[in-house]
Amino acid sequence: MRDLFLAALTKRAETGALVSLLAVILIFVVFGGADMGTMLGAASWVNFAANLGIVAIPVGLLMIAGELDISIGAMIPAGSMTVSILSGYYGLPIGVGILGALALGVFVGLVNGLLTVRTTVPSLIITLATLVAMQGIVLSASVLLTGKASVPLAAPDWAKTIFGTLISGSFQNIILWWLGLSTVAWGFVHHSRYGNWLYAMGGDKVSARNAGIPTAKMTIWLFVLSATAASFVGMCGAILFNSAQVSGGMNYIFNAIVSVVVGGVLLTGGFGSITGIFIGTLTFAIVSQGIYFTQIDRNWSSLIIGATLLLAVLMNNRFRTLALEVAPRAKRPAKA
Amino acid sequence: MTPASPAPSRAGSGSGNGLGALIRRPEAGSLFGLLAVFVLFTAVSGLVFVSPAGFASWLNVAAEIGIVAIPIGLLMIAGELDLSIGAVIPAASLTFAISVGHYGLPEILGIAAALGVGLLVGVVNATLVLRTGLPSLIVTIGTMFAVMGLTLGLSVMLTGSTSTNVVPGAFWKAIMGDFVGGMFQVTIFWWIGFAAVMAYLLHAKPFGNWIYAMGGDKISARNAGIPTDRLTLQLFMLSGGAAAFVGIGQAMVYQSAQVQGGQAFIFNSIMCVVIGGVLLTGGFGSVVGIVLGTITFSMVNQGIYFTGFDPNFGSVIIGALLLLAVLMNDTFRQLALSYSRKKD
Repeated sequence: MRDLFLAALTKRAETGALVSLLAVILIFVVFGGADMGTMLGAASWVNFAANLGIVAIPVGLLMIAGELDISIGAMIPAGSMTVSILSGYYGLPIGVGILGALALGVFVGLVNGLLTVRTTVPSLIITLATLVAMQGIVLSASVLLTGKASVPLAAPDWAKTIFGTLISGSFQNIILWWLGLSTVAWGFVHHSRYGNWLYAMGGDKVSARNAGIPTAKMTIWLFVLSATAASFVGMCGAILFNSAQVSGGMNYIFNAIVSVVVGGVLLTGGFGSITGIFIGTLTFAIVSQGIYFTQIDRNWSSLIIGATLLLAVLMNNRFRTLALEVAPRAKRPAKA
Repeated sequence: MTPASPAPSRAGSGSGNGLGALIRRPEAGSLFGLLAVFVLFTAVSGLVFVSPAGFASWLNVAAEIGIVAIPIGLLMIAGELDLSIGAVIPAASLTFAISVGHYGLPEILGIAAALGVGLLVGVVNATLVLRTGLPSLIVTIGTMFAVMGLTLGLSVMLTGSTSTNVVPGAFWKAIMGDFVGGMFQVTIFWWIGFAAVMAYLLHAKPFGNWIYAMGGDKISARNAGIPTDRLTLQLFMLSGGAAAFVGIGQAMVYQSAQVQGGQAFIFNSIMCVVIGGVLLTGGFGSVVGIVLGTITFSMVNQGIYFTGFDPNFGSVIIGALLLLAVLMNDTFRQLALSYSRKKD
């Protein structure tokens, strides 16, 4: 009975993530004297988590499928600049700007996806190339077209209400988008055949293709999703803050990967869950922003993130071994 | 296989005809890329690009990246990655500056301490990778964050500031942080020396063959008696140590060290290595290729300022070059494999 319970618990990708989250909160309360009441009510880390989470989910899905996308670091400023240049500088309707930003995401995602599918080059390298190229294109296009590196944008009220406003003064409404995307992704991954395909792809791509799964199409769509999600985050930021900045975005690359991995996703693919990614993102946000609510010097936050990441992957590793060991014997041939 | 030639592929070493032999070399693609970039930039910016000042501008940048790129490339040939170098560079730089500038220790102790930091991070990386079997990408992201946090926290704790000034003695400044002829950093000579030593080790010693074997197939390599664990440890220590060396050099040149900086080296060094023809999946690449890739990268990054284009346009060229390089290597490798004799 104990074995069955342990098996059920350790088999879930999010168990490790939950343990990490609780451990971080415990450390903050015990050693940092954190005021949990104030912290839970604070918007800073929730906003941070929402922006990061929208990017982390598709990055996590790609990782489950055995791919990586680091071009998101350039797509966030790209989305932000596109909407600002189209609607702010050229005065086009905001709808055009929004569509433009999302279309750019779709385009870059297609490039990443097609190159990954058509060549044998690892997606880390392909998206590294699109990352650098997009950084250059965004910066030179903005200087070329507007003469500035920062472009103001005045979005109409309806656009602000949907994409960029503050609820009760401090919570960005992108939080709702994050919750929505997480729910949709959860249904998609855990309750549809696409989810099974995803795990099969990450487990063994060749077998998955031989079993009739359209792996190429899936890979391309996943890349489109991640680039578009990143562009969406940038666009919402521009609408909320009334201007686009070309800097920033690079931090998202490592932050998203760390969130996803703390959330229990296996970098080599085939293992992970949306709940885990969600919890991993929360953990990351609490460590990097929640530290302001503790007496721990905030300079140590990177150290805590690094330690959390290493401990989380070690724990997840251990859990997977444990899950395999205590799994019901009947399903496996007896060991010699 | 002959000792002097790189032993790039697992597909045997049949000599073949001239074309086959040329494109089978890992640095073929990067050589073409370098020539193309050099001709393009010389044509656009004129004689200024080929003047000593023009050469110094990209050589200084290339030397710093190059010293890190070589061990990163070797790790990649062996099938591993190291992202923690981005945190080791400022960590070593500050270790040196704090020991010498803040506590007034002799330079030699500061250098030893800073190199020690780099080697230690390498040992930690290698131990974690070997003990847990986790991908080195994740392990080194973890140590990168941890070292970043430690650097910031300890620097503020010890000195109360995120940057420390240091004035190295004339001798140390001359050998590690000076400009030869007023414009060429001495780092360039360290880079050339380091590249020569590593090229010898990789292409003429068992060490090199072992690395290729490891990247090709780690389990078979271990079964064949290659000490893969010891090699992994040495390679991670080498990359940590090289990053620390660059950090010390920076502290000597700028006479100050700060917590930020170094992050750019992570992706820049990977790009140099990939443009240089190394395969991320391991088993293929050469030191000459890495050096050529580094030169190409730096030439684009710095040469763009001579051309009158918007400097940001340099990134677009690098991105395109990177894509071209990997696609070309992809095709070249297929060609190379089809040119070489089948194993019997």
